[in-house]
Amino acid sequence: MNNLKFEATQYTPEISLETYGEINIKGKSYPENTFEFYMPILQWLRTYFTEPNAPHSLTVNVEITYFNSSSSKLFFDFFDILDANKENFNITVNWIFDQENDSAKEAGEDFIEDFVDLTIHLIAK
Amino acid sequence: MIDIHTVKKLIEKDGIVFLAYGGFLSQTLIAGMTEALEKEATESALGMNESTNIFTIFIELAQNMMNYSKSKNEQASSNKSEGLILVGKRPKQKHYYVLSQNIITLDDKEKISPKLSELVLMNKEMIKQRYRELRKSGSEAHFKGGGIGFYEIAKRSDKLTYEFEQISEKRYYFRIKAIIKTQGKVLL
Repeated sequence: MNNLKFEATQYTPEISLETYGEINIKGKSYPENTFEFYMPILQWLRTYFTEPNAPHSLTVNVEITYFNSSSSKLFFDFFDILDANKENFNITVNWIFDQENDSAKEAGEDFIEDFVDLTIHLIAK
Repeated sequence: MIDIHTVKKLIEKDGIVFLAYGGFLSQTLIAGMTEALEKEATESALGMNESTNIFTIFIELAQNMMNYSKSKNEQASSNKSEGLILVGKRPKQKHYYVLSQNIITLDDKEKISPKLSELVLMNKEMIKQRYRELRKSGSEAHFKGGGIGFYEIAKRSDKLTYEFEQISEKRYYFRIKAIIKTQGKVLL
């Protein structure tokens, strides 16, 4: 299993997936084909949870300024995979948002309500 | 087809227009227009909430048009990513708006029409709740998008209006307008 890195584009966020147990997603998200774009990320995550040598903790830092509705659906699927593995892994999500960006904050609050057993911290900057 | 005169009249009637585009849409073009909107937002000292709501609604409508617009010609089976989209401001009414027009098939009209007529009657809390239910069930998910696009637009606008105008037996103009009020000055 390898680290994966995606540079930011005009419409996709910067993403780094680190095998030592960290995921960083930062930027805007409105790809043309959201499903295709996020597929490798979801696949990496599934592999991480089945990898025998993977660290038992995973920190996810998400900082999204704005996103389209299909990205929102894909973030949900991403959280769903985290949720399915919360018993065996120590998972922490940091949902980072600009304190003036109410909808980014609200998106984080919605995920907290949808995934009550996941550790999701809201971090205003 | 909307002519330039109509567009001009619309612009004059509907206040200051940040962005007006009529034609074929591509992802690169949408990204470029979003960047132009970001610049406008910075220059107009727009608040972060209003700006991100405008960007999101614009992207949702533009990507909808890119994916679902049809040719006026019923015989043409392929998509024609063509339409008209405007983003503007009406200072007196203290609001911003995003307006789009494109051509859809009768089938698409019948799919979105019940969804929209229900949506415009719902309050914000109901919309947010439905949005999360649909996102969770995934039942509305389809190939090109989450299927929750109209709910995303409704969540982020203060008023949503739409209309269908028949062109031929199976072709309709679909127009939708989302209003985003200026924060702090007008109550939601």
